[in-house]
Amino acid sequence: MSLRGRIRRRHASDAVMPQLTSMMDMFTILLVFLLKNFSTHGQLISPSQDITLPVSAVQQAPEIGLDVVVSRDWILVNGKPVARTPEAEKLEGFIIPNLRSELQKYANEGRNLEEKYGKKFSGKVTIQGDKRLAYRALIKVMATCGQANFPNMRLVVYQKEE
Amino acid sequence: MRTSRKHRYVFDLDPINMTPMMNLMVVLIPLLLTSAEFVRLGIIELNLPPAISATGMGAADEARSNARKLDLAVTITDRGFFISSSMAVLANEGEPTLPVLNGVHDYNGLSRKLWEIKQQARDLYPDLEQIIILAEPEIDYQTVVSTMDAARTIEIEGKTEILFPEVFLSATVR
Repeated sequence: MSLRGRIRRRHASDAVMPQLTSMMDMFTILLVFLLKNFSTHGQLISPSQDITLPVSAVQQAPEIGLDVVVSRDWILVNGKPVARTPEAEKLEGFIIPNLRSELQKYANEGRNLEEKYGKKFSGKVTIQGDKRLAYRALIKVMATCGQANFPNMRLVVYQKEE
Repeated sequence: MRTSRKHRYVFDLDPINMTPMMNLMVVLIPLLLTSAEFVRLGIIELNLPPAISATGMGAADEARSNARKLDLAVTITDRGFFISSSMAVLANEGEPTLPVLNGVHDYNGLSRKLWEIKQQARDLYPDLEQIIILAEPEIDYQTVVSTMDAARTIEIEGKTEILFPEVFLSATVR
């Protein structure tokens, strides 16, 4: 048998099957990578688009709570804009009236649920603030939350990469 | 003759059936992609700012338990950190305890200073977990969060030691 004949036969038998080895390599690497950052609880808090959260070294995992977002322009409660941040910064005193009335609505709702169905009202609120936010705005938002029956405040941050 | 048969044996071997494995991959990868966590979020638990609790029942509580307390406080200003307690301010004549170095606050210095304070105050005060953080109105959020980080733990010789994890936020008196 000549060498040329042997080569031709080999080509003919392999032509049916595409090369899967490289694809399997890729899939295996992908699988390992995805398994590594697999989370069992999913995203409990989805950060807002227009803010950059500050970075912190905390290890505590997020919890669900009423969502308060403080961006550079607006203060939002559960996605609904209630007050403008620059105006809130200029206010005298620590209470932002619009924010307080909105929060009290949620607090009353929570209390009602507690009375009727026994679902405990925890008064938890998660605050997402832009990292360039002035402390003056932040402290006012927190003081207002405290006044409006939401004393359990949590600041949402990005966890530092190890 | 023998060699040619051996070769035929190698060439005619059927390739492994990859289809089930590919099916598995195709299902697993979208599943893991949807539940993957690319940015890790965390939360910092906060206690009520003393400014509010003081107007309510907090003031009465404080008066009742007027044991000697450390009342450690860190004030963030644009010039640096001021560390103070119920007894004294750790600064000389309006200069910050830890001045800003090259435009950056000295977080490592703060951790070390608080560690020293914790060592000295051990067994003397009941409130060795608590710290009050005050900031000037212009200080940005990231600086406040980094200060909390610096006040929470310190790495000493590879070990993580707890400093003052219970943070109270407060506003500066104008």
